[in-house]
Amino acid sequence: MVKKKDFPDTTILTEPIVTEEATLTNDLRTNLEEIKTWEGVIGYILRNTTSAAIDLNDPTKIIDYAILSSSALEASEELSKLFNLGKIKNIIVEGKETKVLSLTVGENRISIFLEKQADHEKILKKLQ
Amino acid sequence: MDNDLYFFTLKSALNEIRNACPEITNTFIFKENGEIKIGDETTPEKTMIQVIDAFDDIFDKANAIGNIEHITVDGNNGRVNISCLNDIYFATVISKKADINYVNTITRILIPTVLRLLEKICPASLNNTSILPETESEAKLDSPVETEEKPEPITETKEEKIEKPQEKEPEIKPEQVFNEPQANQLIVENLSDLLTRVRLIKRMHSDTVHIDSVILSQWEKQYEGKKIEEVEIETFDGKSTRCKVKPIKDAKYEGKGAIQIPEKIQQTLQIKKGELVRAKPVIE
Repeated sequence: MVKKKDFPDTTILTEPIVTEEATLTNDLRTNLEEIKTWEGVIGYILRNTTSAAIDLNDPTKIIDYAILSSSALEASEELSKLFNLGKIKNIIVEGKETKVLSLTVGENRISIFLEKQADHEKILKKLQ
Repeated sequence: MDNDLYFFTLKSALNEIRNACPEITNTFIFKENGEIKIGDETTPEKTMIQVIDAFDDIFDKANAIGNIEHITVDGNNGRVNISCLNDIYFATVISKKADINYVNTITRILIPTVLRLLEKICPASLNNTSILPETESEAKLDSPVETEEKPEPITETKEEKIEKPQEKEPEIKPEQVFNEPQANQLIVENLSDLLTRVRLIKRMHSDTVHIDSVILSQWEKQYEGKKIEEVEIETFDGKSTRCKVKPIKDAKYEGKGAIQIPEKIQQTLQIKKGELVRAKPVIE
C-alpha cells in the first residue's frame, strides 16, 4: 500500500517543473518571434539545456553570432565573479554596425541581434 | 621618457576618476591584443588579465558586428562598462548606486579626451606603454645618437665612408646636436613650501626648477658631460621662460616625469600643478 502511494507522489512533483520550464521557453519563443518583427531586429538565438532556436536574417553569420552570443554570456558570468556584480541582468555588446543584447531567463540563454540604432530597452521590457 | 609620462598621466587620470566618482570601483585601460596598459591603484594586474581573457572570444568574433565599440555588463550589484577608442579599451566597474549619466560623462568624454590629448602630444607612446613603466627614457633621449649610428650596419664600404667624416668632425657634430636640444614633456609639481618660505633660500631658488636627476644626467650624457645649469620651459600655449635647474630631492617624484616649479614661475607661465610643459636644456 505504501509503495503504491509513493509512486504517484514523485510523478506529481516532477511534472509541474517540466511544464513550467517548457511553458517559459514557449513563452519566450513567442515573444522573440514577435520581437523579430520589430524594426532594427536582425535575429535571435534562444538556447537551453535541451533545445536551441535560431532565427537570423543572414544565415551565413550563424556561427559567428552563436560564438559571440555564448562568449558574451560566459564573459558576463566571469565578470560577475571578479567584481561581485551579482546576478547578471544583461550584457550588451555594441559594434559599429550591430549590437547584441544577451540575457538569461530561467534556464534559457537569449541573444538578440539588433541594428545599432534599435531600441534594446524596449526588448528588455518585453522579455523581463 | 614618453612611456613614463603616459603611464604617470593615465594612472593619475584613472585615480582621479575614482576620486571624483567613488562609485567607480575599478578602472583600467588595455589593448585588444591582451597587452595591459594601465590600471588604477585598486585593480590588481591578475584581475585585468582575467577580464581580458574573458573577452577574448568576443574580440575574436567582433568582426561579425563591425568591431567592438562598447560593452556593458549589467548585474544586480553593479555594472562593467568597456569603451573602445581606436584599439584602446577603457574598462570601468561601477557600483549599483552610481549615477550612470555622471559616470558616462566621465568615461565616455573625459578619458577619450585624455587619450586623444596624449596621442597628440606623443603619438607613438601609447602603443609601447605596458602596465609596468619601463625606464627606457635613456633610449628615447639617446635616439639622436642612435639615428647617427644606424647607418653603420648597412655595408662594409659605407661604414668606411661614415667613419671618415666621424674622424673629421668630432668638433662639428656635437655643436649640431647642441643647437637642437632634446625637449622632454614633464608634469608640473609645486616646489616645496619649506624652501620657498625661507627668504634667503627663496631668493636663491625662486628662479630654479627641480627636474628628475635621471633626466638631468641623461641630458648631461647627451651633451658629453656638459653640466646643465639652465632649462627652457615651454607651455603648450606657447609661453616660455628660462630658469636655473637642480635635481629633484623629493624621492616621491623620482622617475615620474615631474618638474617642480616655484609658484612665481607657475604664475608667469600661467600653469598649475598637474599640467604638462616641455623642458629642454639650455646649452651655450
